[in-house]
Order: sequence, then C-alpha cells, then structure tokens
Amino acid sequence: MNVNFNNRDPVYFQIIRYFKEKIAIGEFEPGEEIPSRRELANRMKVNPNTAQRAYKEMEEQGLIYTERNLPSKITTDTKVLGKVREELIVEAVDTFVASVRSINVPVDELLDLVRTKYLESDKEV
Amino acid sequence: MKKYLKLVNFEFNRVVKLFIVLLGITLVVQVAGVIIKSKDYLNMANEKINEDLIPKAQFLTDYGQFSFLHIIRSLWFVGPIALCAAGVAFYIFLIWYRDWVGKNIFVYRLLMLPTTRFNIFFAKISNILIMTLGLVAFQLILLPLEAMVLKWMVPDEFRNDMGIEEMITSIPELNIIIPSSFVELILYYGAGLMAVSILFTAILMERSFKWKGIIAGVIYSAIAVIVFISPVLLQEFVLNSYFYPMELFVIEIVMAVIVLAASVWMSGFLLKKKVTV
Amino acid sequence: MIEVKEVEKKFGRKKILKDVSFTANKGEITCLIGINGVGKTTLLNAIMALTPINNGEILIDGEPVKEKTFEKISLIPDALTMIPNMTIEEAMEFMNDFYTSWNRERAEELLGFFRLNKNDRISSLSKGNTAKVNLLLGLALDVDYVLMDEPFSGIDMFSREEIANVFTSHLIENRGVIITTHEVNDIEHLIDKVVLLDDGMVTKEFDAEKAREDDGMSVIDVMREVYQG
Repeated sequence: MNVNFNNRDPVYFQIIRYFKEKIAIGEFEPGEEIPSRRELANRMKVNPNTAQRAYKEMEEQGLIYTERNLPSKITTDTKVLGKVREELIVEAVDTFVASVRSINVPVDELLDLVRTKYLESDKEV
Repeated sequence: MKKYLKLVNFEFNRVVKLFIVLLGITLVVQVAGVIIKSKDYLNMANEKINEDLIPKAQFLTDYGQFSFLHIIRSLWFVGPIALCAAGVAFYIFLIWYRDWVGKNIFVYRLLMLPTTRFNIFFAKISNILIMTLGLVAFQLILLPLEAMVLKWMVPDEFRNDMGIEEMITSIPELNIIIPSSFVELILYYGAGLMAVSILFTAILMERSFKWKGIIAGVIYSAIAVIVFISPVLLQEFVLNSYFYPMELFVIEIVMAVIVLAASVWMSGFLLKKKVTV
Repeated sequence: MIEVKEVEKKFGRKKILKDVSFTANKGEITCLIGINGVGKTTLLNAIMALTPINNGEILIDGEPVKEKTFEKISLIPDALTMIPNMTIEEAMEFMNDFYTSWNRERAEELLGFFRLNKNDRISSLSKGNTAKVNLLLGLALDVDYVLMDEPFSGIDMFSREEIANVFTSHLIENRGVIITTHEVNDIEHLIDKVVLLDDGMVTKEFDAEKAREDDGMSVIDVMREVYQG
C-alpha cells in the first residue's frame, strides 16, 4: 500500500480514491476484508484519525461495510461497485477533456488519436 | 518516603566511586605514614644508639618515646583528612552542577519525577551527610588499626601507647570531626548540615537566576550567617553578657533551626517554582 | 487537554515567548512549527514546569502541573536525560522504580520495535539510537500526553522512518501528542493540528486536513501565506 499522497488534497480523500481505484480494477474484490484503521494508518503512514475518517466516509458512501466487531469489508453491492468504476472513468475523461479543450482539436481527430494511443499503450503493457 | 529513599540510594550510587577512592587514599596514605614515621624514628634510634653510642636510657630521655602523636601531627595523617574534607566540600557543589552539565542533562529527569521536588533536595543533602559520616566512621576504624601497625613496628620500650580517645583529643581538628559526646556530635553535625543547606540554597539561586542568582546567593548566605551569629554578637556588643551561657546556647540552637528551616523552605520553593533546566 | 494560555517567558530582558496560547487535545497529534530559536523547546519545558513562566497559565486536564502530573504527561527532550554510564536496562529500571505509570511490557516491545540492545551503555549509542532510547523512555510510560522535542532532527534517514512509524502505531493511539519541528515535510500526513509559532506568538492554529479540504492548501502553503502574506 505505497501511496504517494499529495499535500494539497485532504488525505482522507486520497485514501478513498485509492480504494476506489483498487475496487475499479478488481484488486479489491467484493466482500474482501480490508485492514483495520490502525493497520491502514501504519501501512500508508498517515494519521490514524485520518484513516478513521476515510473509513467513516467510505462506510457512508456504501463502499465498505462493517458487521459488529468484525473487520470491515468491501461492499458486495454491485450497483455501488458499478458506480465506482463509472465515477472514475468519468472523472478521468473530464480531466482529459478539460486539458485538451484549450487546443481546439476536432472531436473525430481527437477520438482517432485516443484510439491509436490507447491501443499502443496496451501493446506495450 | 519510599521515593526519597530510592533517590538517596540512587545519589549514593553516583558518588560511590569518589567515596571509595577517598577511603582508599586515606587508608594507604595513613598506614604508609605510620610505617614511614615509625621507621624514621627507629632508624634515628639505631643511629644514635649504635653509631653515636648514646645509651638507650639517655636516648629515651633526650628524644622521648615514639607515640601516635608523632603520626597524628604529620601530613601523612592530616593530609588525607584534609583531602576528604575538600572532596566533600567540592561534592556539595558537584552534586547539583553535575545534573546540569554534559550532553545528557539529567536534571530534566529529576525534575520530572512524580515526587515532590523537596525529595531531590533532601536526597542530595542526605548524601553529603552520609558521605561525611562514612568517611569519619572509616577514620574511627582506621585509628585502632593504625595503632596496631605501630605496635608491630616499634618495640615496647621505645613506645608510648595511647588510647583512641587520647588520640582523638590530641588535636582539635580530629576532635571536631569525631566529637567525644553525643551532644557535641549533634551540634557539630547540625551546624554542618545548616551550612550545607545554606550553600544548597545559594546554588539553587544561581541555578534559578544565573548571575543575579549568584548575588542573591551571596546575600542569602551572608544573612543566614548573620542571623545565626546575631545572638552572640548581641551578647558581646549590646547586651553586655545579659544571657547565661546556657541560655545563649539554647538561643543559638533555635537560631540554627530557624536558618535550616528557612534554607529548606527556600530551596523547595526554588526547585518548585524558579529553577530552570 | 493541554491548555497554554497567554504564556510569556523572558530570558533576561529578551522576551522569548510574548503571548502564546493554544490547546492540544487527547487523541490528536499537534505539531508546533517554528524556525529554530523561536522558543519551541522553552514552551515544552514550560509545559513540564521545567522552567518558570513570567505570565500566563498552563493547564493539563484543567489543572496546573504538580508532582502527580508527571504520571500522565511525559517529555521526550532532544537530548537523552539519563546518566551516560547507565545501560539501557538500568535506565529502564530507574524509570520502573520511580513511575507507577511505567509499562514494562511496552518498554520491552519498544526495545524490539527499535531493535535496541538492553546491555548497551547509553554513552556508546549512535545519535539515532540515542533518540530511540529517549523515545522508549517517554513512550513506555502509560501517560495521556507525550511531548516530543524535534524527534527527527539530526537523525539518519532509516531511524527517521522507524521513528515516524511510531506515530501511526498503537504506541501513540488515543494519546495527546505535541511534537515540535522546524521542518514539516516528513510528518505532514501524520499530524492533526498545526500551531505556527513566530516571534514569540502563535501566528496560526489550524487543522491540517481541514486546510487541505477547505482551501486546498498544504501545511506548507498555509505557512507560506502566514509568513510571506
């Protein structure tokens, strides 16, 4: 769990984002146990209160759930899981669009380019 | 109380090396003195009797028998006592200042102990007392031992044996550190304790207020001494021997207790409210 | 809660602390930031009643410091406060003798955590290990508050990492911590609250996460704004 946090976004927010990414790519599977808040704080080298806050927030968003004294788990709710993936994609595309807009590229040309690049990077991996 | 005793024990462990060194020096130098002084006397006797052919009886009337007095009055005997006294005097200061100097400043820990800071003062003053009494007790044990060495060295007819008490009363310096009565013991050591408490207070003033503290410490010491001897001064110069000696004596004791109490209170106050790491 | 109220401290004629007020809560890590010589160490000493203050008031859970207070607050100064010719074990024994709040088990655990050897003499330790022993002596007390004076300064990188790990472990959990530093980089993500000290005053007291959330500012951004703005 090596996360490079930036200093300007709230740390709890960055933790949630990290979880969302892992869920989206399937590294965290539905129903999988996640570390305790102290363990997480220790592994991510963040303040335990911040880890606590991130968990609380994720619980409210339905990303994780806790059954009485058991360790928290990733949600099995497919609707929520689907939304996470969608949210991340939309967010990434939004950022991309915002930065590419200023260059005024026609949409078709842009999409072609995106397709080529995307496939290229796939081959490399 | 338990923490006071622990602190006393802890402080003692910190000085035990110095203490043993002082005991060792005293033992070695004094016993060496007994042997050397005795040898000198015997050599002289030998020379006079065998070479100058002075009759033994004549020699003894001219030069006298050898007694422990010869040793007690020599540097061999008094030197180590003076050294021990100087050691204790030096340690009165060192016992405080060593906590403030160096890379590891121990006074932080002392002041953060969950016990009243009075205990720090009492533990340190107790250690000065223990050290002093320890050295004196050792001297008391040494005296008969040294007398025995002398007996081995010098034949009967050249020797004038002395009792321990006679030895002690033969020079006033020894008589003060080893008083002959219990009352004297209390008085001498009480006065010593008072003096140390005044010095401790002055040291703590310095530790609390630095340069200004030195001045305050000197003034405090002066006042304490004046208060202590004021009855005597009044008796001499103002009251024309108004008090009986016994009355004056009792008043002096009261003054000493007052000065001691004031020093303890002042030291406690400084340790609690004014001292700085 | 540790409350520092309008504290003033003079050295001779020089006012080191002019008017310092802040609070530090239990369960939070409060970071006192200021350049060297700004009076951070003096402030910690004042909280522990190791140096008198000229004005103001310092309360620990609503009470001024008295002898019992030292069972619930510990200071880890930047130098070791044990006698150099003691071994680590002897130093631990000393603590055990005098503090009822000394936790033997935790002390042993810390010994392992920092990979220290009990029989080493304190005077023979490296700078990093000295700092670790110092932390051990402070953290093995079951106290509610721990004050640390520049725990990272002048220490090698690996020791820094090990020490930083303390902050995210159960060793600190639920305690109130005040840590001083002149360099926040290492611990930016570890702290809850920041108190900026400058010229003998608190120039700003803020919640680190809140600054990021509300203003998108890192601790250093806030410092820059305060000092240069």
